[in-house]
Amino acid sequence: MTRISPHRPQQTTPVGLKRVVLQTNAKPEQAHPPKPLRTPSKPKARVLFIAHSDRGALDDHARQALAAAAILADAETAVVALVLGELHESLCNAGADEVMVLPELGFHQFQPDVELASVSAVIASLKPVRIFMPDNLIGDGDLGRRLIAHSQRTAATQVVEIDAKHTASTQAGGSTLAVCDLPEIVLLAANAVDTDLPFNTKAKRLDAVAVGHASDVYQDLGLQTGSAAEIALEEADFIVSAGNGVQNLATLETLALQLDAAIGASRVVVDDGRLPRDKQIGATGKTVSATAYLAIGISGAVQHLQGIKDCRHVIAINRDSSAPIVKRADLSVIGDAEEIMQALIGEIAKAKALA
Amino acid sequence: MSMNRIAVLVSGGKNPSSGEPRHCRNDSLALQMGLNLTPDLTVLHAGNAENPALQDYFALGARHIDVVPISGDVVENLAARLHQCDLILTGTRAENGEDSGLLPYLLAAKLNLPLVAGALELTPSKDQLEILQFLPKGQRRRVKVNLPAVVVVHPLAALELLYVHARQILGSITMHPATSNATQHTPWKAETPRKPIKLKAPLTQNGHERLMAAITSKNKGGTVVNDGNCVEKAQVILKFLREHRLINY
Repeated sequence: MTRISPHRPQQTTPVGLKRVVLQTNAKPEQAHPPKPLRTPSKPKARVLFIAHSDRGALDDHARQALAAAAILADAETAVVALVLGELHESLCNAGADEVMVLPELGFHQFQPDVELASVSAVIASLKPVRIFMPDNLIGDGDLGRRLIAHSQRTAATQVVEIDAKHTASTQAGGSTLAVCDLPEIVLLAANAVDTDLPFNTKAKRLDAVAVGHASDVYQDLGLQTGSAAEIALEEADFIVSAGNGVQNLATLETLALQLDAAIGASRVVVDDGRLPRDKQIGATGKTVSATAYLAIGISGAVQHLQGIKDCRHVIAINRDSSAPIVKRADLSVIGDAEEIMQALIGEIAKAKALA
Repeated sequence: MSMNRIAVLVSGGKNPSSGEPRHCRNDSLALQMGLNLTPDLTVLHAGNAENPALQDYFALGARHIDVVPISGDVVENLAARLHQCDLILTGTRAENGEDSGLLPYLLAAKLNLPLVAGALELTPSKDQLEILQFLPKGQRRRVKVNLPAVVVVHPLAALELLYVHARQILGSITMHPATSNATQHTPWKAETPRKPIKLKAPLTQNGHERLMAAITSKNKGGTVVNDGNCVEKAQVILKFLREHRLINY
């Protein structure tokens, strides 16, 4: 239902009655005015953020480290983001004033010596006062520690708390919290920073080149990807999940096979015994962190949404456009699950045949 | 096989609930990985020889443990005993001390050796070592590294630990003097455990903006597709997947 704004433009008649003015082009007041620009025009100092990209974008953890750099930078400090691997998104809302991309150093390639040489060259040319990196497993934790070991800078790893003066890190197996002054290299743990920034930045692209050639010490023999059905649900990158709206599980299994995705389920499906208990996603089941989550026939109870809070792209196929999952999903397709699944299987087969 | 000397670094762990000293599981995996290559290992511990945790490593297969003191520069003390090693195995993180996961990196930099982290399986060949490396999202990578090298064992390595009491009785310890007399100071100060405070950007809004932000909900939720037949809807999904590089066809 379209609602009528009670604040439509109006005028007062000579008698004193308020009358709505029709057909005016007056724009409604913006609820969220554009954010101010932060980027300093003549920066006096620079801080560097380094991370690997994942599928051409920075993941949440990397964005948190970038946000930390932007929040802690003062008005005359520029934040330079050095992204290793391809980058297909703008970082202007993530806090980067300048962006350097080294697309040949993606995390799928094992070339620690080239990475270290290239990053050291950038550091030598920019002379950053501080370096921020996410302490993750896609190569940044490893690269950061190599950098720490090969430089004389002060450093902290697995930083769970950071502010302008100090950092804190869990130590002794997580039993103590230790505090130290803000070091020069900060490897941030996940969820230590809120990525919501009150400003935008320019994110100007700078040229960067990878230096150093791969020594013969390391040899990359290539990735080994098992089938998605074999790996644990928590580790899966693509999940197709069945809810009560799925009548025919065989279709869903075919779709999952075509997309090379793992199969998950909501509580109802598992309670009905249509899928085993270890497939359940949600508060009582598993918490997943897939890059793509295809929720089919799932209304999206709070308990289920809890289980998928770390998923990057959520796509919903649902009959009901007012279901809670539609609010969470990045793309919601309203319609019959079975028909859309069949169509999707057909389209994927066509696309695969063309590729 | 040309690996003459394999060294494993072990540290004292502790029970997360009771705080009782015990072996550190990450280091035990490194020990087991070393035992699978050769029974004759150099097991090295930096710390106190009286640590009851060391007895656990005997039971888990170490025959002899060399202990170096933690006075001075620990990395230097350890490096002094590791010069002739072909392979140095360590766990990912300790359960005591600073627990930063930095030690293998500092050691590799000190000894000028290559380092591979996240090892799940080792396959030695002549002068080289093939390693199955852990990557998130169910991916694994095979890499080869020239020996000598430092290898960090991943906690998910599929190894079976065998605890044998008889081996525990037979184990022996040798104390070694410190080689470094540098004074080390830690910048860290321990605090009582508390929930870490999340860093948030300071609000620059004025009162009106804050009020508007509170009463208008942020436009959450993405695109909703209502129209079209099921083939068109399927194409919308495929387009979304392609746009975000989730499929490559």
